[in-house]
Amino acid sequence: MSLSETLLPVAVLLPLGAATLMLALAHWLPPRLPKIVAIFVALAVCAICLGLAHASLDGPVRHWFGGWTPDAAHRPGVVLGIGFQADPASAALAAFCGLMFSASFVFAWGYFDTEHAHFHVLMLLFLAAMVGFCLTRDLFNLFVWFELMSIAAFALTAYPLGRSALEGAFTFTVTNALASFLMLAGTGLLYARTGTFDFATMGEAVARTGSDPVLTGGFVLVAAALLTKAAILPFHLWLADAHAVAPSPVSVIFSGAMVSLGLFGLAKLVAQVFSGSADVTGLVHGLLHGLGLATALVAGVMAFAQRHLKRLLAFSTISHLGIMLTALSAGTDTATAGLLLYILGHGLTKGALFMVAGTLLSLRQSADEIVLYGQGRGLWAPALAMIGGGLLLGGLPLGLMHGATGLIERSASAPAQAITTLATALTGAAILRAAARIFLRASGVPGPELLAPTEREHEKPDRPVWLMAFPALALVALALVPPGAALPFLGAATARLHDPSAPPLALPEGGSVNLVPLGLTAALFALALLRRRALHRPARAVTRAERAGFRALQALHSGLVGDYVTWMAVGLALFALASAL
Amino acid sequence: MSTLSPGALPISALPWLVAAWLFAVGLYGIVTSRHCVHLVGCLTVCQSATYVLLLGLGYVREAGPPVFYDHPPGTPAVDPVVQALVLTDIVVGAAVTALLLAIAIQVQRRRGTLDPQALRPLRPPPPSAE
Repeated sequence: MSLSETLLPVAVLLPLGAATLMLALAHWLPPRLPKIVAIFVALAVCAICLGLAHASLDGPVRHWFGGWTPDAAHRPGVVLGIGFQADPASAALAAFCGLMFSASFVFAWGYFDTEHAHFHVLMLLFLAAMVGFCLTRDLFNLFVWFELMSIAAFALTAYPLGRSALEGAFTFTVTNALASFLMLAGTGLLYARTGTFDFATMGEAVARTGSDPVLTGGFVLVAAALLTKAAILPFHLWLADAHAVAPSPVSVIFSGAMVSLGLFGLAKLVAQVFSGSADVTGLVHGLLHGLGLATALVAGVMAFAQRHLKRLLAFSTISHLGIMLTALSAGTDTATAGLLLYILGHGLTKGALFMVAGTLLSLRQSADEIVLYGQGRGLWAPALAMIGGGLLLGGLPLGLMHGATGLIERSASAPAQAITTLATALTGAAILRAAARIFLRASGVPGPELLAPTEREHEKPDRPVWLMAFPALALVALALVPPGAALPFLGAATARLHDPSAPPLALPEGGSVNLVPLGLTAALFALALLRRRALHRPARAVTRAERAGFRALQALHSGLVGDYVTWMAVGLALFALASAL
Repeated sequence: MSTLSPGALPISALPWLVAAWLFAVGLYGIVTSRHCVHLVGCLTVCQSATYVLLLGLGYVREAGPPVFYDHPPGTPAVDPVVQALVLTDIVVGAAVTALLLAIAIQVQRRRGTLDPQALRPLRPPPPSAE
């Protein structure tokens, strides 16, 4: 067994083991030790996974637990063991998770008054689950990591035990627990038809079976679960509540890594298991594409109509997930490469922005852009991170996200491109508007965002600004890396996601610089800043109509768990309808 | 593992119908619930639907339990893999239920109510109510 094959399970066992040890020794450890250990464990996971990504360029790295290789059953086509497999894309994403966690641990230094290391234990469990989710090649194992990820996330959301945090965590837990039941049922259906859980063997069986309602049903259930995690319309309602109320260092992980992993899991399943099923491919190209566009647009508008900074960022995350889903559903190699790059670029940027929101919560005791009007003076480092992040989300022609958008748009139709551009501009303009209000005292009269929910809250104040600003600025700087350097690796990663022995893909070099999104962002931003009180009758009529529209949209996001579950059922019905047609 | 030729698992309609019915009833309960603990119960009903479905999928007519301690290997047995899945999920379900109930206790302490219709994150109750 080579070194990389031995290291493969260590990437999961290390954070799991560290978490268990810290929990056992929680009452005896000096308070600083868990924080330091957590940072180093996250960095070590990042390094191991980078090593795996590099090693898997020569061919996939596999590890069969307990030596139960496919040959061990002595029956061709029967895989009894559970395997891990590192292909370049999976390992790189796992490394990205490690990086995000280490940044978040630095940001969370001194975040809690009394913690007894429990926060770090939960976070390390969360990290282990995410790395396992990336590296497994077994559907049931994927479900287990999905569940572990969810449970750690539920507990972390409720961790502050505040009023909103508890209510948000309750909604989050109920919706995502339902999603995991769907996933288990789907896993069972797929097993009933294919007789295996192993991705590759399952893919062969699916290709042999052809059109079969049980297989399609299994896919629909698993996809619904992953789309709930990835917050795609109409399964998205839990996200804005959960991300807005979770502690800021946790929101960094939620928005930066967890939700996009849901989409990555779906992309991997579609590529490795269902590529031979015409029914499923039809669903992906049809329904999922439409859902992606709808998500991007609706959540973009919602983001523009928020005043609570974390809620605004949460809706922006949903909108960008919609854009990523359009890339997934396009199904071409360049679009998949764009999806992988977009996950990285978006995660880094959004992580930094949540850190800025957390900084404001702890230094200025609010995350409400109207309450914070002009309160951000003197905080130049968070201001820089927020404006940089807003520009990057709004289509600044630099960095990873721009490169990814270029790749995605190569295979997008003109209307789809128009919708994603508008969504990008809406989210970018919303963040820039908030930044202008908070840091520059520049503002027009507040528009529909006055109707949005908000709260008085604060996080623990006595942390040095530089400690909170440094990780945010570092993440923004990483998001600004020119994408050209990553293209050769990305080409190999995209090709191997589908077929582990495929030759690397030659990706087109960055095309023309597209300034349309940035221009649209600037226009929407100017519209928000130049807004004046409606004095004349026609202007009042326009404002009234606008308010009615936004009020209806806000009412759909009611915060009630019953409504959210109803919408999930509607989403399932939509899937059933689309697969019956 | 005697039943693993693909497509050969006999699936009768009854477990499917029971599973779908349980899931639908559970969903209806969650949507209309006026008490968080009741809601958690309904969630467990939804989860039971998955157990029924999985056990139904692995069932083999006139086969024994998958324990080969006193049977020769090769005796017809129901599929042990789905039973393992159900067992795993029961454990996970217990963790989720425990967490939800713990959250419910904390909500009751802070809000004095457990009516899901009154719990809206980030939307504080009117000042007079506090």
